[in-house]
Amino acid sequence: MKILLVAEYRQGKLLDSYTELLAFAGLMGAESGMVAMFIAAEAAGPLPKFNGRLYLAEVSQVGEYNPEMHKQLLLDVVAKEQPEMIVLAHSSYGWDLAPRLAVALRAAQISEVVAVEDGLLVAPMCNGKLRRTMKSRGKMTVATLQAGAFSLSGEAAGVPTVVAVGGATSGKVKLLGYESAQQGGVDLTKAEVIVSAGRGVGKPENVAMVANLAKVLRGEYGASRPVVDALWVDHNRQVGTTGLTVAPKLYVACGISGAVQHLAGMKKSEFVVAINTDRDAPIGDVADVFAVADLKQLLPVLTEKLQAL
Amino acid sequence: MKLLVCIKQVPDMESKFKIGADGWYDRQDLAWRMNEYDEYGVEQAVQVKEQTGADLTVLCIGPEQVKETMKKALAMGCDRGVHIADDKSHLKDSYEIASIIAEFARDKNFDLIFAGMQSQDRGSAQVGVMVAELLGLAAVTTVVDFAYADGKVTVKRELEGGVKATVEVGLPALVTCQLGLNTPRYPTLPNIMKAKKKELLSVPVADLHMAARLQETVKIEFPEKKGGGIFLEGEVESIADRLIGILKAKTAVLA
Amino acid sequence: MIGGPPSAVFVDGKVIRMETVMEFTREIYWNVGHGAATLAPMYLFTAVALAVLVYGFLRRLKIYRLGRPIERTDQPLARAAEMLRTMLLQTRVLRVTGPGLAHALFFWGFFLLFIGTGLIVVQADFTDLFFDYVFLKGTFYKIFSVTLDLAGLIAIAMLLGLLVRRWVVRPPGLESKSDDVIMHGLLLTILVTGFVIEAARMAVTELDTPLAAWSPVGLAVAKLMAGTSPELLLDLHKGLWWFHLLLALLFIVLIPSTKLRHIVTTGVNAFFADRGPTGKLTTLDLENEATESFGAAKVTDLSWKDLFDTDACTSCKRCQDRCPASTTDKPLSPMQVIARIGEVAAQNPEASLIEAVGRDAIWSCTTCRACQDICPAGIEHVGKIVEMRRNLVLMEGEFPGEEVMTAMEQLEVNGNPLGLGYASRGDWAEGLGLSSPAESDILYFPGCYGSFDKRNIAVAKSFVSLCQAAGVRVAILGKEEKCCGEPARKMGNEYLYQTLAAENIATIQGYGVKKIVTTCPHCFNTLNKDYRDLGLDCEVQSHPDFLADLIAAGRLLVDGDPFACTYHDSCYLGRHNGIYDSPRGLIELAGGEIVEMAKNREQSFCCSAGGGRILAEEKLGSRINVKRAEMAAATGTNLLLSNCPFCLTMFEDGVKGAGIEESLKPRDIAEVLAARIQA
Repeated sequence: MKILLVAEYRQGKLLDSYTELLAFAGLMGAESGMVAMFIAAEAAGPLPKFNGRLYLAEVSQVGEYNPEMHKQLLLDVVAKEQPEMIVLAHSSYGWDLAPRLAVALRAAQISEVVAVEDGLLVAPMCNGKLRRTMKSRGKMTVATLQAGAFSLSGEAAGVPTVVAVGGATSGKVKLLGYESAQQGGVDLTKAEVIVSAGRGVGKPENVAMVANLAKVLRGEYGASRPVVDALWVDHNRQVGTTGLTVAPKLYVACGISGAVQHLAGMKKSEFVVAINTDRDAPIGDVADVFAVADLKQLLPVLTEKLQAL
Repeated sequence: MKLLVCIKQVPDMESKFKIGADGWYDRQDLAWRMNEYDEYGVEQAVQVKEQTGADLTVLCIGPEQVKETMKKALAMGCDRGVHIADDKSHLKDSYEIASIIAEFARDKNFDLIFAGMQSQDRGSAQVGVMVAELLGLAAVTTVVDFAYADGKVTVKRELEGGVKATVEVGLPALVTCQLGLNTPRYPTLPNIMKAKKKELLSVPVADLHMAARLQETVKIEFPEKKGGGIFLEGEVESIADRLIGILKAKTAVLA
Repeated sequence: MIGGPPSAVFVDGKVIRMETVMEFTREIYWNVGHGAATLAPMYLFTAVALAVLVYGFLRRLKIYRLGRPIERTDQPLARAAEMLRTMLLQTRVLRVTGPGLAHALFFWGFFLLFIGTGLIVVQADFTDLFFDYVFLKGTFYKIFSVTLDLAGLIAIAMLLGLLVRRWVVRPPGLESKSDDVIMHGLLLTILVTGFVIEAARMAVTELDTPLAAWSPVGLAVAKLMAGTSPELLLDLHKGLWWFHLLLALLFIVLIPSTKLRHIVTTGVNAFFADRGPTGKLTTLDLENEATESFGAAKVTDLSWKDLFDTDACTSCKRCQDRCPASTTDKPLSPMQVIARIGEVAAQNPEASLIEAVGRDAIWSCTTCRACQDICPAGIEHVGKIVEMRRNLVLMEGEFPGEEVMTAMEQLEVNGNPLGLGYASRGDWAEGLGLSSPAESDILYFPGCYGSFDKRNIAVAKSFVSLCQAAGVRVAILGKEEKCCGEPARKMGNEYLYQTLAAENIATIQGYGVKKIVTTCPHCFNTLNKDYRDLGLDCEVQSHPDFLADLIAAGRLLVDGDPFACTYHDSCYLGRHNGIYDSPRGLIELAGGEIVEMAKNREQSFCCSAGGGRILAEEKLGSRINVKRAEMAAATGTNLLLSNCPFCLTMFEDGVKGAGIEESLKPRDIAEVLAARIQA
């Protein structure tokens, strides 16, 4: 099977998510050496490591966000290579670009793939409460992969053959610039212990309970999206697809149901403890320990006992 | 100026889901509501309407019951509704849905189309962009900030890691809305009453459904509980003690 | 005393002399003159004063007329009786003993003096003048005289007491304005001059007569004047008489434009009281397409009674003292709400009521009714606040916070504000052996908290076990039950309330339910009162009454296992429904010895969750539930019993907030009884 992987380049950097695409391709049994890759990157930057053909476009020419241009260049590559699958990350870049390819190619798009079973693609539904197995009916399929669902065992390696692509610049959409969230000085991605607050904390005052436990464990406190949206916690502490992806030694999820977007941001943690009154919450899928309790009751007791150690 | 906002009626995600006979989730015992992402779309569309005096249509595909959700959109400020009557919309794939919408919109010359970034039940995040592609419109996804002035739309896209990208696009265009774009208004009672009188046309889906299905759902099931998780239940004191014991044994965190 | 007509004195059948018998009476208008020179100006000035009085009220009538119509004149006899009772017996004033007693005594004193003066006018200017009929004589006059003297003395004493309270003691929160200075000053002067006039007269005509003893106060003052020359006394008497008259007329003139108006308005307000079920809100007609505005944005949206209320207020601050929001530093004072509405109505009727009263004040109310319950002037505070909330919600889509808007949306989607799937509403009852509604004795309506909240599910289960022990077949609607709509209604969302109510009523009637029992006073109050307007007509009972009936009928047997506790009267069983005794009876039956909190029964202090505030976060001031938990702890008992899921939820939180969760346990009465069911 021939697969075209689409890597993402942003703010001057090639994103590491391309390795997840490589891992997936491996699982699908892509012809080794025939895996092609497309990237809009400065020729001088570090290139993705794999063995195959790399179609490379000049970012200063095509822009980091220019969907029509990127689509056109990709369609040219597809016309040449005729892959069976085109795979992107399910990211703000991927879900923006993939449907355009799907329509142009009249190909099925299967989004947010988390697993492959018997060659069929599996994706979550209804906040992760259900999962769907899907099959494409056409010759070509466009797929986007959930962040962190697939990972390479070991480092990416190889040197691709570079083929330059480009064309007349066009596009109705203009990228004007980027802005980062206010940096509060905290970098959750470096913390070894993270204790996160979910909707279950109920009130902004209760975030303090979570922060206290984090402090006693010598870690940092984070939060799921609803807590950040409610402005109870800064955005730079948000864990999840639109926030940070973390992989600490210990992750304690307090009152977090385990929506897909949140799980994607923390499921690579080494040890996961969930505290939730609902035993069926999807956070249970990734929890090593699930304490069925009200965090408002458990956290103070737990913090006190830990302090006494 | 003509605006269109596309909405979907989805089950409330707090519901307990069951697998239905037709290979989808069982529609019994579910509470229904407007797709959360679409609420932001409706609110933004209404704000543009208030700003420019544009005419705003809300469109929804589904069985008769989706009209309840459409009434909420009308009560928030849409001028008219188009209900594409389809009892089997849940079995259609994103491409079919998008082509139905595109078929409806094709000759209507909408200047701006709003859609939710994804639906809460399927989460494919495809329909919005596909509609734009089928209509040949510019599209920008994942919008968390929106401003319209002098025929130009300036939005901020929400990227990963808390980064936002400012993007400008001219009309006609389509945007897909991310959570937090605005604060969807609570419909006032006079608006709820007016909504009852607003035009709400039903169009049989057969009139617009021409595309072929590109994918099929082989099955829907409950995810396996990844085994190995220890459950701690009972008195809070005892849970805390046991948890500390486990952390000592299985992690280096309490060393 | 006056000499009567001379009469003969007989000895041995022969007239030996003529004697004038001294009558116990006095000459009205003595020294002042009873001729036209007195009567003409007196009646002229009086007529003018009365005209000013009437004109003043006609002007105020214009203000009241700004409001919408409301039916408050039906059953006029009953209303009049209530008004007379309230006014003459000072029943509501006396509910606060200290200043209440002082005011009551002052009022009775002044009232007696007023009647006395009236009798004098009637005799002097009518019965004596036209018919030569004198009734102020003899024994009647003796009683008349001593009564008025004592009345005047008591009135002065009480007035001085109230003056000291206001300006020396200065209770916190009691505002004093120019009106108060005028009232105290004017009334005191009128009373004191009255005695000086009497004393001057007595000093000339009554000293050393037997009649003098019947005017003891006048006599005492007259003795002080004993050395003064008669000419001076006559001048003093005459001058003060006219001064006293003018002051009294000034008093009349000032009635409409000062707080003195409460003499008229407070009494009359008792006539216009709401004789319907306690606390019942008006059910808005949402079908009428002609209605352009809902709720109260301007004074013209309130009723004339609402505007009249603002004139009946005397700023006594009893409402403010009892308001749970006021006493925890929130910007709500019921008294100030009434004052602001009054100001807008009188000075600027086009202004926004909501801006004048303030949103934080409007949203802070828990509808506990402590204000309305204690108000001696019969002012209805709660309805006005809810009307303003209705305007904010229904016309502006505004709520006190996003969490409340979310709760409203959850009510629409899932029929409960907690955001839990409606289909699992009946899951708590699985395995309890409940009947179907068609085959049950009662329909149990647990409400949202009883169905979904872990702590309150325990209460629901306790109630069911009590019913089953009594052989009562219980059914629930389960996932067909929706929130009764009360928190939405109290928050102002009348539309959502009516939608939920209509669905519930249709379901209940569809099953042909004859009797509903609730363990939630909010559901009870709503189903039993509010739902009647929307067509529900079956019997509704709250659980303490229902359980008490079962015990009285011998169907439920409970062991009395002694324990000490305190009991919290919830606002919605207590002040809203007058249910104070049946819960206490149950507790005692179960062996409980109740140590009452200082604020109990009608004076109970709200837990903070009423008025729809169970849906909201408490962001302002200090925590009401912590304050109440501390009141409970002060009784020295370890058990805080209540009868409401909101109260229970608030107390579980409150004892933690107060740091006393180890020493004070909140429980529902049903739980205590269920633990004592006789095997």
